[in-house]
Amino acid sequence: MNRSRRKPGPALPHGRTAPPRHARPRTRPLTARRRRAGYLFSLPGLLFLALFLAYPLLYNVWTSLHAVRLQELLAGSPRFVGLDNYRTTLDDPGFWHAVRLSVVFTVGSLLFQFVIGFALALLFARPFPLNGLLRSLLLVAWLLPPVVSGTLFRWMLDQDAGAYNALLRAVGLDALAHDWLLDPGTSLAGVIFANVWVGVPFNMLLLLVGLHTIDPELHEAAALDGANTWRRFRWITLPLMRPVSVTVLLLGLVYTFKVFDLIFVMTGGGPVDATSVLSLYVYDIFFRFFRFGEGAAAGLLLLLVPLLVGVVYVRRLRGEGEAA
Amino acid sequence: MTYRAGGRPWLLTVTATLVTAAFLLPVYWMVNTSLTRPDRILTETPQWIPTPATTQNYTTALSDEALLRALLNSLVISSGVVALTLLLGVPLAYALARVPMRGSGTMVLALLIAQLPPSIVLAAPLFILERRAGIDDTYIGLIAADTTLTLPFAVIVLRPVLRGVPRELEEAALVDGCGPVGVLLRVVLPIMAPGLVAVAGLSFLIAWGEFVFGLTLAAEPAVQPVTVLLNAFVGTHGTAWGALMATATVISIPVACVFAAFQRFIVGGLTAGTAKG
Repeated sequence: MNRSRRKPGPALPHGRTAPPRHARPRTRPLTARRRRAGYLFSLPGLLFLALFLAYPLLYNVWTSLHAVRLQELLAGSPRFVGLDNYRTTLDDPGFWHAVRLSVVFTVGSLLFQFVIGFALALLFARPFPLNGLLRSLLLVAWLLPPVVSGTLFRWMLDQDAGAYNALLRAVGLDALAHDWLLDPGTSLAGVIFANVWVGVPFNMLLLLVGLHTIDPELHEAAALDGANTWRRFRWITLPLMRPVSVTVLLLGLVYTFKVFDLIFVMTGGGPVDATSVLSLYVYDIFFRFFRFGEGAAAGLLLLLVPLLVGVVYVRRLRGEGEAA
Repeated sequence: MTYRAGGRPWLLTVTATLVTAAFLLPVYWMVNTSLTRPDRILTETPQWIPTPATTQNYTTALSDEALLRALLNSLVISSGVVALTLLLGVPLAYALARVPMRGSGTMVLALLIAQLPPSIVLAAPLFILERRAGIDDTYIGLIAADTTLTLPFAVIVLRPVLRGVPRELEEAALVDGCGPVGVLLRVVLPIMAPGLVAVAGLSFLIAWGEFVFGLTLAAEPAVQPVTVLLNAFVGTHGTAWGALMATATVISIPVACVFAAFQRFIVGGLTAGTAKG
């Protein structure tokens, strides 16, 4: 069993202590009956996913290969145009602008989420009174609907009455106090700031689970040998946290790349496209300009990154599974 | 890392409390603003404690029938999502956990991949397809769309839980003449109750906070969820921060309640669903 999979799973019983499968002979009809029941049981769920998830995504591929705007859709038979929609999208400077913004947004968010989350995980990995309560309170930030968080940060970053600007003024940094989201130079930073806030608890939680799998005896032994806190962190904690860290960053990458609501509520992509990341770009093309063919093409291009990450992630899971 | 119980744990408590307080400042500020008199909100020296506290913002916010309607819509949609997720997810997870079927490994993989697409990529084709099927602007259309988010994750979380149910119990019931459905309902479900609670709670939270499908698949205020309404409010009542924060607080209350009630289960479900895959 892989180390990172052994976690203090609360309330989740594991079947590993169950006796071996074929402990006693079973009759054939029972197995056949089970198998039939299995197919019947999985049918409704699979049918649903085929209808509302797989088919729409395939339909998206079809749309991306046809000239579909509002009129064609209403009229009936859109024309097949091959890869024209992809070409149009890839020729659009707005698309590349969105790609750049998505990269900055994702890298910036991940970097700060991970570092702050790691620091908090180190703090909360030590036992102290009220640990559980404070940890749960932190999670609230992650569970709030993104639309609520977005509204909240719009208010916090407001020019005159926003709390963060008031804090800046209170410590004498009046020069920095301004309308973060209305200034094209700082709006992306403001949006990243909010997204880091949303993501930190999630990073902390998963990294904390990882920290708890590290055998305390390793630290004790190193301490006996005279290793100070920094050395133990550098040579024990960090290397052992590598697999968990990669998983957390991969998941974070998928989640961050997807973000739509938070940015949509905070800036709507503005000012002047300064925060129009890929997901907002797709929304604009599809739902504001009703250029369905190009929107579908852009959407599929947006899907590339999570799919690539997914392949890497599944490979890693497979590796863990084989080790188990 | 839990090796040193000694040292000065209270010092850690103080540090952690300060960090948590600083981190949760926006949440405090939301409640603070919602309780401040409207004429004292837009000042350059904000009040850190609302004195005197007022419920005026809540009265203003809740006197709007659109908000009440949207809250009701969100409640209907979220409950529908929880019901549909469990109804489809439990049998599917059971089959994948227990029954030797061809292709079940591929199915689990497919469920992992199903969580990857950004909502907006799915919203685009659903917008066309649901309109064709005549279920755009309906609860059904929104519940179905939201369930594409909750179902894959529910199955992935429930499968290991179901594996933990002792096989002998099921087989004993089967031998005693109980059908497969009876086994699932009478023997398996009661044992896996904690896992079910976690999945139900998280599905509710996901549906309650969902925005993209609400924005794109529901043009009618009659079915729009409250997240869409809040976004519209931000646009139209841009500076009425008191009422806006009161609305945001009202939307957050169910989240806090669900989390407080199911906290232990939800954290367990989260770590099981993500770190483990």
